[in-house]
Amino acid sequence: MKRALYLLLLIFVLVGCKSSRIVDQVQIIHAMGYDWKNGTYTGTAIYPTFKQGPMTKPDILTTESSTTYDLIPRLSSKSALPIEEGQMRLVLFGKAFAKKGITEIVHSLARNNKVGSHLQLAVAKGDAEELLRITAKTTLSDTLYLSNLVEQNIREMNLPNTNLHIFLYNYFGKGRDPFLPYFEKKGNFVKLEGLALFKDGHYVGRIDLRQSFLVKMLLDETKNGVYQLPISKEKQKGRVLLENLYATSKYSLKKGKKPVIDIRIHIRASIRDYPIWLDLPNKESFALIRHQMEKQLNKDISKLIRQFQTKEIDPLGIGDFVRSYTRHWNEKSFYKQYKKLTIRPHVKVDIVQTGIGE
Amino acid sequence: MTLNRERFFISPFFVFFTVHGAQIGIGVLSFQRRLNEKVGHDGWISIIVAGIVAHILIWMMYQTFQLSGTSEDVIQLNIQYFGKWLGNVLNIGFVCYFLLLALIVLRLYIEVVQVWMFPLMGTWQFSLILLLLTYYTVLGGFRSVVGLCLWGVVIPLLTIFPMLFFPLEYAHYRNFFPILDHSMLDILKGAKEVTVEYLGFELLLMYYAFIKDGQQSHRWAQLANGFTMFIYLVVIFISTVFYNEEQVKHVIWPTLTLGKIPEIPFIERMEYIIISIYVLVVFPIICLAIWSATRGLKQMVSLKQRLSLPVVLITIFVASLFFNTREEIDQLGKFVSTIGFYLVIGYIPFLYLLALFTKRLKGKASMNERSMI
Repeated sequence: MKRALYLLLLIFVLVGCKSSRIVDQVQIIHAMGYDWKNGTYTGTAIYPTFKQGPMTKPDILTTESSTTYDLIPRLSSKSALPIEEGQMRLVLFGKAFAKKGITEIVHSLARNNKVGSHLQLAVAKGDAEELLRITAKTTLSDTLYLSNLVEQNIREMNLPNTNLHIFLYNYFGKGRDPFLPYFEKKGNFVKLEGLALFKDGHYVGRIDLRQSFLVKMLLDETKNGVYQLPISKEKQKGRVLLENLYATSKYSLKKGKKPVIDIRIHIRASIRDYPIWLDLPNKESFALIRHQMEKQLNKDISKLIRQFQTKEIDPLGIGDFVRSYTRHWNEKSFYKQYKKLTIRPHVKVDIVQTGIGE
Repeated sequence: MTLNRERFFISPFFVFFTVHGAQIGIGVLSFQRRLNEKVGHDGWISIIVAGIVAHILIWMMYQTFQLSGTSEDVIQLNIQYFGKWLGNVLNIGFVCYFLLLALIVLRLYIEVVQVWMFPLMGTWQFSLILLLLTYYTVLGGFRSVVGLCLWGVVIPLLTIFPMLFFPLEYAHYRNFFPILDHSMLDILKGAKEVTVEYLGFELLLMYYAFIKDGQQSHRWAQLANGFTMFIYLVVIFISTVFYNEEQVKHVIWPTLTLGKIPEIPFIERMEYIIISIYVLVVFPIICLAIWSATRGLKQMVSLKQRLSLPVVLITIFVASLFFNTREEIDQLGKFVSTIGFYLVIGYIPFLYLLALFTKRLKGKASMNERSMI
């Protein structure tokens, strides 16, 4: 009995050896920006400072260095409290930085056990620092503004699902290339402007938010997103707004000398807005706009894919798809003929509803 | 005498927990990586192959005990079949193997805790706590070790196992295809790599004497191995659809990184919870291995377990301080798993065949004797 007590005592003493980080005695970074300007790297961290009660005020730390590695340690030299990166929700790359290559940061994030897999990465047109400063100014207490913006758009709108895990999956994986949300400064606001496309860790171009809906649809089955389409009837022209309810895509491969990839896309959608002259409940005009929409979507998707092919990037993971149907698939030889590959979209639109009024 | 011994025995049913608990250890956190190197996305086939091999080896172990007649653990078996000298040399080897097993499991777990949770924590602190607990448990006798095995299986099964399914949100089922993209040889190489993950059942060679109606427990041991195979298949299935082949190469503990995905409002990072609960997976193995080692000493030189236990624990504690870098730990791990591999693949079948032939010869001899009369 006595011995057990000694043991117990020892265990309690040893518990004191733990290391602790108390929440208001560390500086929790919520977003981090990386820039490449005039030959040096700039790191910007945005973190909440706790004033009175639950109100927080976003604050900014920024530092410069000739490498990306010591940006966070250098930030520490400007901060009274130890810097903690475990709650980081967003890493924003300036465009110049992204063009130069984000490989180092990505590998460092992949190794870092402190950051979660749900971390968002994004690219900013211009400087990441500028954008972070805007969000710190325009929002009263929200240091998570940009990451929430990304998440909201993934959940409800046109942005395909992205986070650190998905990025790493696309980055490391053979037969696929990564993409990230793309931000732009519009006046005093930050606006999501589509997807930034990468090849081997370098930024190579972007697509707009409308096209990113197509990417979203082609990547996965999805239950959200809106898409505006032109329609015409006789001599009247107008636009309809298609709201996706449930879209699926199915790839199939025809092997042969000239392999053909068919993508069958089935969209169940509701028409949210349409011109007055179109009397929608009418069966005829229903069929008409359905046909026009399908045609237009086919055209847009073909254009998008051709855009990818000329840039020789593969955000849709076509290579990975072909790999799953090919024994001993070879990445190099596939991408040699990638440019000339025939990829045919076949869109089928089902209009489920048109709202509660006529 | 028999009545007195009875209270140290466990019922055959508990063999399920001791075998399964000892099999699933620290390896399940990282085996995807090694498997991926050899067979890529066809790893699940290797797991089935290795699992069947383990089934056969368990069968052989039970057969050996039955054939030997009187021997009830490996110490007695060695002396029965190899004579006193050679047998005891082998026995020393076994005791060393059990000690190494406890050491590597302890050190690997501490490494995980250090890398993921407390980088500043010294090895000795955790090692000390865990070994003190081991002392307490092993002193309680074999039955308390078995009790620990029971909870070491049940609690992680209820807590960690369900968390593994969250990453299916990011599943790419395409990753399985084309099935059998690798040659038979690659698959066998992969199977060799994962056989190590099935290790742990060989401890049965030590505690067989403590099972009430030893042969009755055979089906429980087989069931435990089947269940281990099932768990490995689930883990490899989820890892295959969650990671692609290139990505796994960059992750040291793929199973723990899977734990980064589930997110609940008040705990954002489940991998820390998983690591904490994981002590319940690791701890029974350490206890079982240390118990086996001290039991071996007792059988060999009739050293009381109460006396040998502190010596053994201090040895392990000191030894654990010598392995500090990733590389050293990795080398130790490779060393122990190589010994373990050849132990089960070489020694068990050899012993079985030896037992079989001795029995045959004896049978013939007695037949001859009878015909002489």
